[in-house]
This record gives sequence, structure tokens and C-alpha cells, in this order.
Amino acid sequence: MQTSNDIVLSVENLQVHFHGEGPVAKAVDGIDYQIRGQQTVCIVGESGCGKTVTALAVMGLLPQPPAQIAAGAIYFRGQSLLEMSPAELRAVRGRGIAMVFQEPMTSLNPVFTIGDQISEMIRTHEPVSASDAARRVLQLLDDVGIPDPARRIKDYPHQLSGGQRQRVMIAMALACEPDLIIADEPTTALDVTVQAQILKLLRDLQARKKMAIQYITHDLGVVAAIADQVYVMYAGVIAEQGTTDHIFKNAAHPYTRALLAALPTRNKRGLRLYSIPGSVPHPAYKPKGCPFHPRCELRQPSCMEDFPQLCDFGKGHLVRCPITFADRGAGKQRLT
Amino acid sequence: MLSFLGRSLIQKLVTLFFVSVVSFLVIKLAPGQPSQIDPLNPKFTPEIVERIRKVYHLDQPLHVQYLLYYKDLFTGKVVSWRDERPVLGKIWERFLNSLPLFIVGTLLTWTFSFPVGIRSAIHRDGWYDKSTTLISYFLISIPGFFFAYILIILVVTKLNVPVIDMQTFGVTSASPLVHFMDRLWHLVLPSVLGATGGIAVLSRYVRSQMLEIIGQDYVRTAKAKGLDEDRVYYRHALRNALLPFVTMFGMILPGLIGGSVIIESIFSWPGMGRLAYEAILGRDYPVILTINFISAVLVLAGTLVSDLLYMVVDPRIRLE
Ligand SMILES: Nc1ncnc2c1ncn2[C@@H]1O[C@H](COP(=O)(O)OP(=O)(O)OP(=O)(O)O)[C@@H](O)[C@H]1O
Ligand SMILES: [Mg+2]
Repeated sequence: MQTSNDIVLSVENLQVHFHGEGPVAKAVDGIDYQIRGQQTVCIVGESGCGKTVTALAVMGLLPQPPAQIAAGAIYFRGQSLLEMSPAELRAVRGRGIAMVFQEPMTSLNPVFTIGDQISEMIRTHEPVSASDAARRVLQLLDDVGIPDPARRIKDYPHQLSGGQRQRVMIAMALACEPDLIIADEPTTALDVTVQAQILKLLRDLQARKKMAIQYITHDLGVVAAIADQVYVMYAGVIAEQGTTDHIFKNAAHPYTRALLAALPTRNKRGLRLYSIPGSVPHPAYKPKGCPFHPRCELRQPSCMEDFPQLCDFGKGHLVRCPITFADRGAGKQRLT
Repeated sequence: MLSFLGRSLIQKLVTLFFVSVVSFLVIKLAPGQPSQIDPLNPKFTPEIVERIRKVYHLDQPLHVQYLLYYKDLFTGKVVSWRDERPVLGKIWERFLNSLPLFIVGTLLTWTFSFPVGIRSAIHRDGWYDKSTTLISYFLISIPGFFFAYILIILVVTKLNVPVIDMQTFGVTSASPLVHFMDRLWHLVLPSVLGATGGIAVLSRYVRSQMLEIIGQDYVRTAKAKGLDEDRVYYRHALRNALLPFVTMFGMILPGLIGGSVIIESIFSWPGMGRLAYEAILGRDYPVILTINFISAVLVLAGTLVSDLLYMVVDPRIRLE
């Protein structure tokens, strides 16, 4: 395992399989990533590539069965989450790692007030009185930009808009000042202006509360706005990883490049946006060789046979594509 | 809130009116006659039949009969055609007999169904879930009377628990304690029997409700907060899973007047179910109609209670 004590979360060769009718679905098929203190790490990829499953595995919330963690390890602050007792794991959930879910409309309990639900989080992990907890809830609601918290604290989820509910979820995640917040596409279900507000809110809060964020998204635009480090995920594996600046300037994997080409930017205004042909394979029916090869423009015969290894481009830039590595590696040699 | 109550009351009165008309018509139009006025009854001459028809207003047109009956009902003057006793008194007497059965049966049903159903759902597909499922289907599919005889054989011959009627003949002369215990023992079999079917059905329903809620996103959120299992299941999930049962709670009110014909017949229990059954066989129209009317009132009151309870337990529902 990693030894640097600055590492908050370390996921090593994680494999999650779903057992059902038909062949085993390898939804997550061996991924590695690390998150350092106060870092923002983005996991980006198309729908169905295994982002949520990865996050749920970290939280210990996968429904088992049908899910099964077939291999790998997950370390939080150096401790193995997969080997923890239920009580130890509960102490990590909410206090060490908090999660904001993809669906704000259904993630809050409809029969309890939002004040109740946030203060429950506090009182589960800290021995505080109900009135102290209530005071902190007011502060948290204020922090996440809910107007008139004193009145809102008694509201039920159905009385709030989607954006406000997601703010409440964020307030709840922040309540015990966790080391890491996993935000699973927190803005996907919301409209664009609200998305921008939530993003800004998360960035501000991160700076103030000094926590790390694992931000899951399918939108490279969001990545550019908040991430320090990016992991591009495809069909349950990491296709490319590196610092945000580096990836946006030097994307090497054909999939990352296609995602970038599909991103609307100012100088593409008026042009037709590129879209990647085909779709993500179902995890039970992945093609042999590189899982991206059916959609790849640089496909070589070897891509249909061999599962590609991660190639080290230097400076932490890793790409799962020997074809581009051969190309660029050659180019590099010429330059130096 | 008040306007909801007002509107709902008016609606229910209108419904009640239609129920009264329809049940009156159905009973009057059904074939058969009370024996006193049956022209084929050799005991009565045509003159007597004619006189009785007059006394019972049977010579009047239907709508007049309807009005006369409900006038009598509301002034408490309806009498049974069988023994000329006031119907309300007869019903009250039988109601008091049925009440202990109803209360014990309902308490058994509701107190056992919930823990069983909830536990099955939480340990889905475990041995507990599988065995309760098996037992439930067994109890649902076995005919009530058959099961009753099995129970009677087991309990009466092995444990000497008294059954048949509400008390042992002649026990009234014993000490009050003996009398009381005797009546309790007589309650055991019929109420257990009445409850088993209910437990089997209701616990399955609780289980499926609970399973559905356990799969909800907010239950996952509760787990993600680091709450322990008891809090996740018994606070976050159960509160939601219980909502539909609030409706059912209002629906047990009509059971007050129902009674079970089968169980009362097997155990010779002089309850409501048999009163209604005998009244139907004897074409004792006033008794049938009155039981019918009280049932309708209880059903409507039950739905009102459900609506109000729903409003208390589900914050999303505000009736206006
Ligand atoms: N409970 C489950 N049972 C069976 N398969 C599942 C289950 N949950 C997820 N999967 C499979 O795992 C794969 C990855 O799902 P996941 O939810 O992680 O996708 P995602 O990357 O989060 O996509 P999205 O952007 O749509 O949220 C999917 O193809 C899905 O079929
Ligand atoms: Mg997802």
C-alpha cells in the first residue's frame, strides 16, 4: 500500500462484479487512484462506465449480492476499508468520507425535516446536545446558501427545489467536516445555472473546510473548472490519468481526445459538435482486447487482441494506449 | 383542514344515501319471502298473511317502504320480524359477544405481522425469511374450517382447553375468577384461528412494503451517514414503509360489525356473523338492512380516519 501519510484515499486494483442472469458483469475491472488531502480529483466518463459503482464500493454501500468486490483494496488514511468491522466502517461513513448522491430528488427521507436529517448526522458522530446540533445545522444551511435557514430547518424535502435539496445534501455531507467528500454527479439532475452555483459552492467550501473532493462527472467542462487531477474512466478501467492542465493540453488516449472534441468551447461556436460514434459496452459483454477499440479511430489489429497496458508518459501522465505511446514516444525521441 | 372535513362529510353522506337505496333494493328484489308471509306456508291463512303484510307495510310501494324503514331506524323503532325484538338491541347484544374476538384477533394480527414482515425483509432470502414465507403460504392456502378442526383436535384433546360457545355451561355459578378464566380460555382458539390467516397475509404485505423501501435512495443515504442498522431500518425505512398501513388501519373499523360466520359457526359463538347469516336465511329484512347500514357507516368513518391519519404521518399530504 501507499505510505505517504498525505494520501486520504487509495484505491488499488479494485474489481467489482455483478452476478445475475447471464455472464458476470465486470462493472469495475481493476482501477487504481489516489486522493491527497485537500485535493480535488475528478473521475470522468460516460454513463455506465462504473463511476457510481466505484464510489459505492469505497463507501461500503454496494448491494451485496448482486455486487461482489472480486479483488483489490481500498485504504482510507492507510486503513483498509474492506477489512473493517461494521462499527469501524460506520465511524468512517459520514465522518471520514461523506457522499453526495446523484439524485437529489430521492436521496432525502421524505418523512423527516431537513433539520432533523442534518442534525442526525452530527449527533451520530459527535456527543453534542440537540440544541448545539440545531445551532450547527443553522450555520451549515447558511454555509451552503439556503436563504432563511431558521425557517427552512423545519421544512420537509418536498418543500424544496432540486437545487436546494442538493445544497441540503451538501450541508449534511459537510456536517462532521469529513476528510473527503465524494460527490457523484451532484449537478447532473439540475439545470445549468444551478449547476454552476453548486460547483462554485463546493469550491468555496473546500477552500474553507480544507477537505479533499472526489468529484464524479461525465462533463469535461466541469473537470476544467474544479479538478487538480483527472482520471478518465472507460468501461470499468482508467483510460488516462494526469493533472488537469496536462490532460487538457496533452490528452493522448483516443477516448479522452474524443471527449475533448465533443466539448463545446468558444472557438467551436457555430460549428457542429463532434460526438463519439457508438456507445459504452455493457459490462457483461465487453469486447476482447481494448474495450474502446470498436469506437476508436486509431484502431490497429493488435487492439482487438491484447488488453492495453498503462503507458507512462512521464509527470504522472498515464495512458492505457500503446498505439499512441509508440507514436509520441517516437516523437519525443526525435525532439531530444 | 376544516373545509376538507366539511367536504368529506358531505361526500360521505351522499355515498351513504346511495348505499342505503341500493342495499334496500337488492334485498327487496332478491327472491324469497319471510316465512310469515310466504303464501306457501301452510301455517298461515291468506287473511293472516294479508294482515301481516299490512303490519310490515309490505302492501305499500317500495319508496314508501324505504322511507318508513329508515324513519324507524333513526327513531330506534325497527324490530326484527322474527321475534319482534328491537333490532338495535339485538345487534348490540351480539356486538358485545363479537367484540372480544375482534379485539384479541386484531391485536394478535397486528402485533405479530409487523415484526415478522420486517425481519423477513431485512434478512431477505435468509433462513428466517424462507421459513416464514413457507409457513405463510401454508396458512393462506389451508381452508379455515379444516385448520380449525386440526387445532381443536390438538388443543382440546391434548391441553384440555375448553371450546364451544363463549363459556362452559353452568360456569356462572362458579367464583368470578374461575368464570373469567373460563371465558378467556374460550377466546383462545377462535381468536388465534381468526388471526392466523390475517398474520399470514399482512406479514407478507409488510415484507414487500419494507423491501420496496429498503431499496430507496434515502435508505442508502441513511447508511452513508454512518447510522447503525437499527436506525436505518427502524427509523428511516420503517417510517416510510408504514404509510400504506395507516390506510388499512381505518379499514379495520368495519370489522367491528363483520364477525366471521365460519369461525362463529364452528365454535358456536353467538356473534355478529351468525346473526347476519341467520337474518339472511330468514329474510329478516330489518336486521339485514340495519347491519348493512351500520357497516356502511363504519366503512365511511374508517376512510375518514385513514385520511386524517395519513395527514398526520405523511408530511407530503396536506388536505385542503
Ligand atoms: N445493482 C446493480 N445490478 C447489476 N448491475 C449494476 C448494478 N448497479 C450498476 N450496475 C452495472 O454497473 C455498470 C456501471 O454502473 P454505474 O452506476 O457505476 O455507472 P455510472 O458510471 O455511474 O453511470 P451514470 O453516469 O449513468 O451514473 C452499469 O453498466 C450497470 O449495468
Ligand atoms: Mg452514476
